[in-house]
Amino acid sequence: MATRRLERKPALAVAMTAVFFAWLYLPILAVALFSFNDKKSLSAFSGFSLRWYDDLVHNSALLDSLIASLKIATVSTVGSLVFGTMLALGLERVTSRRGRVIGAVTLLPLVTPEIVTGVAALLLFTGIGLKLSMTTVILAEITFSIAYVTVIVRGRLAGIAGEVEEAARDLGCTPFQAVRLVTLPTLLPALIGAGLLVFALVFDDFVLAFFTTGVDPQPLPVRVYSSIRFGVSPAINAIGTLMLLASALLIVAALWVPRLFHRGTSSLDLITGGDPR
Amino acid sequence: MSEVAVKRRSAQRTSLWGWLLALPTAWMVAFFVSSMAIIVLLSFGRTTNDGYPVFATSTANYRAIWNEVYLELFLRSLTYAVATVVISVLIAYPVAYTIALHGGRYKNALIAAIVVPFFASYLVRMYAWKALLSDDGLVNSGLRHSGLTDGVTFLNTPYAVVGGLVYGFVVFTILPVYASLERLDTSLIEAGKDLYHSPMRTFFTVTLPATRAGLYGGVLLVFLPALGDFVSAQLLGGANTYMMGNLVQQQFAEGQNWPLGSALTVGMMAALTVLMVAYLRATSTQRRES
Repeated sequence: MATRRLERKPALAVAMTAVFFAWLYLPILAVALFSFNDKKSLSAFSGFSLRWYDDLVHNSALLDSLIASLKIATVSTVGSLVFGTMLALGLERVTSRRGRVIGAVTLLPLVTPEIVTGVAALLLFTGIGLKLSMTTVILAEITFSIAYVTVIVRGRLAGIAGEVEEAARDLGCTPFQAVRLVTLPTLLPALIGAGLLVFALVFDDFVLAFFTTGVDPQPLPVRVYSSIRFGVSPAINAIGTLMLLASALLIVAALWVPRLFHRGTSSLDLITGGDPR
Repeated sequence: MSEVAVKRRSAQRTSLWGWLLALPTAWMVAFFVSSMAIIVLLSFGRTTNDGYPVFATSTANYRAIWNEVYLELFLRSLTYAVATVVISVLIAYPVAYTIALHGGRYKNALIAAIVVPFFASYLVRMYAWKALLSDDGLVNSGLRHSGLTDGVTFLNTPYAVVGGLVYGFVVFTILPVYASLERLDTSLIEAGKDLYHSPMRTFFTVTLPATRAGLYGGVLLVFLPALGDFVSAQLLGGANTYMMGNLVQQQFAEGQNWPLGSALTVGMMAALTVLMVAYLRATSTQRRES
């Protein structure tokens, strides 16, 4: 009886969920649709055309921005993976008060509004006389992304018992070898998931990049932002569609890759706070 | 294993873990902690006659932001952020409830279908709303075709800005609420229905209190980015819908009064810290109770 009652779906909640999904996807799909419009209109679809995409590949400033963003995202991903993993390993095993303080400080970027992080980074870089460039964007993005990697890797580490390392030590490994040969390989799925997520986040990041970038070449989101401010156009629809598609693929991969290693789990559990197994 | 060996080994391990912590900690101190310190210091600074920001020990910036114009803007930001939180919670509960309790084997797929667009470019999604709601956008042309009206001005209204904020950040409410609903023991809901005979009463007396942790987390996670946002107000709104984030952005990118901008940022952080502490208090009392 009781279970059957729960099985009866709450009609209102289901209807609201359906509306929510429509609301979530309608604007995005409209952007994609009108990127193929052969007229400039954003409300009347007159015919299929790839002219706006053709414009994109001939826009050298935009291509420079795309390359800059790819470089920024690649270097930032590698950097934050290295630091974030070190931090996760250290924090998971150091239980002292000092460890807890460090743990709290490294999580601060997650709860600081991005505009604050961005403005503070701008002040720091100008203060120490660093010329704003791609390098400053990368430094800021790494600082911001370390926390993401740490959270994801710690979630996975909590599932690996310390005994595995202990066993490796008993078999004659040095502490460093135990981490390199035993812990890191078990962390691989989490590292790939975190890497893909950070790459997508940094590639799309606008606020930090906006405050820390130099003049040329600007990261892609910053360039797109300045054209959006002037108004809407099918050309922005085209680049927007490509950006959405690229990051959607990356996020899907970030969610799926860990599943290939361990059936029944995904980094979705890490994002939603489910139990890591 | 002898006690000495255990001690020696744990000492060795601690030293390795200590070294692993050292480098990233140094990085965070160099680039994050110090940047926060600089912004606090500069908030007491001033600009020279030729416009350069310099450190000083004046409270002029704080006195400058304590005026009607800025306070009104602060209140407006707070109102928008609170509205965003309320709407996000109203969306999050039915959506998370439907997926967590009635999603069946499509649960993960449905959550992924929410997460994927949300983690893809915030900027492009704000642009999508701008395109949709603009005077010659799809919505207005639909309205004109239906003959109901000559078109409605959506952009440059508070509704558009708050709508943009919700669209941008609602996922941060859905995920924690979903996580705690998923962990909820469904027999509690059944017992509630037996006791109260009303789904609404069951929800408010059983489900909602039992998922308080997720609710608090969701409220905080959407409030933080909403209060600091400037993109939604910039793209979907106008000067009369500007938020604190826009003010800060203007001081740094356009107005070039960095010390004043720093004071505004510190003020924003102070407000957020108060709320954070309240949040931590609320969650820790809850933990003690259970």
